[in-house]
Amino acid sequence: MVASASKPLSALRWLGLAALLFGGIPALLGLIGGGYPFQVGITALIFVTLAVSLNLVTGTAGLLSLGHAGFFGIGAYAAALASTKLGWPFLLTLPLAAAVAAAVGVLVALPTMRLISIYFAVATLGIGEMIHVTLLNWVSFTRGPMGVRGIPPIEIGGFTLDGVVGGYYTAAAVAAIGIFAVHRLTHSYYGNALRSLREDDQCAAAMGLNPVRLKIEAFGVACAIAGAAGAVYAHTASFISPDSFRFEESILILAMIVVGGLGSLPGAVLGAVLLIVLPEVLRGFGDFRMIAVGMFMFLSILFMPKGLLGEASAIALFRRQLGSAWRGDIQAGWK
Amino acid sequence: MMGDALLEITALSRQFGGLRAVDDVTAEIRQGELVGLIGPNGAGKTTLFNLISGFTPPSSGTVVFRDRTLNGMKPHQVSRLGMARTFQNLRIFPNMTVFDNVSVGAVGALGYGLRHGFFGGRTRAEEISARAWAALERVGLDGVAGELAANLSYGKRKYLEIARALATDPVLLILDEPAAGLNDTETADLARFIKGLHAEGSTILLVEHDMGLVMSICERVMVLASGAKIADAAPDAVQADPAVLEAYLGIEDDDEEVA
Repeated sequence: MVASASKPLSALRWLGLAALLFGGIPALLGLIGGGYPFQVGITALIFVTLAVSLNLVTGTAGLLSLGHAGFFGIGAYAAALASTKLGWPFLLTLPLAAAVAAAVGVLVALPTMRLISIYFAVATLGIGEMIHVTLLNWVSFTRGPMGVRGIPPIEIGGFTLDGVVGGYYTAAAVAAIGIFAVHRLTHSYYGNALRSLREDDQCAAAMGLNPVRLKIEAFGVACAIAGAAGAVYAHTASFISPDSFRFEESILILAMIVVGGLGSLPGAVLGAVLLIVLPEVLRGFGDFRMIAVGMFMFLSILFMPKGLLGEASAIALFRRQLGSAWRGDIQAGWK
Repeated sequence: MMGDALLEITALSRQFGGLRAVDDVTAEIRQGELVGLIGPNGAGKTTLFNLISGFTPPSSGTVVFRDRTLNGMKPHQVSRLGMARTFQNLRIFPNMTVFDNVSVGAVGALGYGLRHGFFGGRTRAEEISARAWAALERVGLDGVAGELAANLSYGKRKYLEIARALATDPVLLILDEPAAGLNDTETADLARFIKGLHAEGSTILLVEHDMGLVMSICERVMVLASGAKIADAAPDAVQADPAVLEAYLGIEDDDEEVA
């Protein structure tokens, strides 16, 4: 069987991934030495979270969104303003950021969900720009181009996680929750429903699925996760300005999931890590490093148009074959 | 076999600009029937089909399915009432496995929402899986369930589409030109398959361009020409109907010397 449809990650593999994320990688970063590797780790994890959430909308449900950084920005500003103006702790600003980003996402998505393919992409491009321009010009609320400074560090249960190591663990925890949530959705019949929209939404409607509702749900969940990533960014960077949430960032997130493999969850993680870590590793080459990163993206798409871990191969790699739907040598279905 | 009216179409019309694609059609389909709908190219078969399944809103007239008026309903609402369709131009989900394709039909009918996805609707998932397997077995594709749909042969894709429709457990199954592109042997197999479904109690509306298939298996045949229904009778009667011959072959009444 080429792409056997079957079971998602087992508990054992989840544990292995968690050990890597919370034990192996921090140990490695510590070996390299200094705070800088952890800083890169935080950035990579924030973009992993963003890529995974965009992958739900673009890779699985097939809606090309060009404004994802806008929802990242909304989450970051919600957290930054709630903590600096109202004194809210991270454990409150995190859900707030997710809720505000999801609410704005659903609100602006409502009129655009009936649009198809390229029209939807252009609409989200406009939405991303609107968010950026609002953050930039609503000076009395967002402080405009001056940005928000003095965002307090993450504090959980009396412990202040103000160093880069604490920031890393927080970013890792949020990324893990994002990955887990998207994994649950995509590796279930709900994921099949979203994929059928990507393939042919009229036909999916003829099977009894409500395309508009499904698209709005997927978009809302993705925006919530992007908003949570924004909260992590605001609290770990302590200063945010509208410049971090532009069209360029949206395109970077999109490039991550395309390089990794649209629709593939491990692909999104790999793509995000590569596109954040690669420029850092190549820092010795000065300005030439961005040419190398560009070449990498160009060549990877040229030779692997389905991404490093395309949906089919990723499914074959990660789905386990157990459960009620298992029959003989054919594996299919979700629990 | 015949029971109450399942689908009642009354004075249904659809206008596209100056063209009356479907013109004042009244018809009904009763529980357990196998009905054919034929007509020359451009007769309005597909438009009528889209009006019934909610893809196109009618300009006037009503469609009543299981005592519910369908006017204004969206395709997914019509589908959830128990009407399943296939598409004339083969619309499968190519980048999904055969099983996943068919599961979408069961998901649409049984429902599997965000809540099930997050919190694990185990019982529902098992129902969906069981239904998908049953549909795959019925069409004989259970052996290739894990294959990507895009890798199937043309003929098998036709059955995949039918399996996906069957997975919704339809009260009325509408097949839109299922024999298009099939050779004679494949068409004969398909005819046997459709007859088998009917024998098991399915109510089927078969929209076809191919007269042979319809005449050989349907109990009743409706003929559409220029958007209007010109005949509605048993196959033998329809084949002998001068209006039908005229519509299909362009023979005019006064030229007809056989009688």
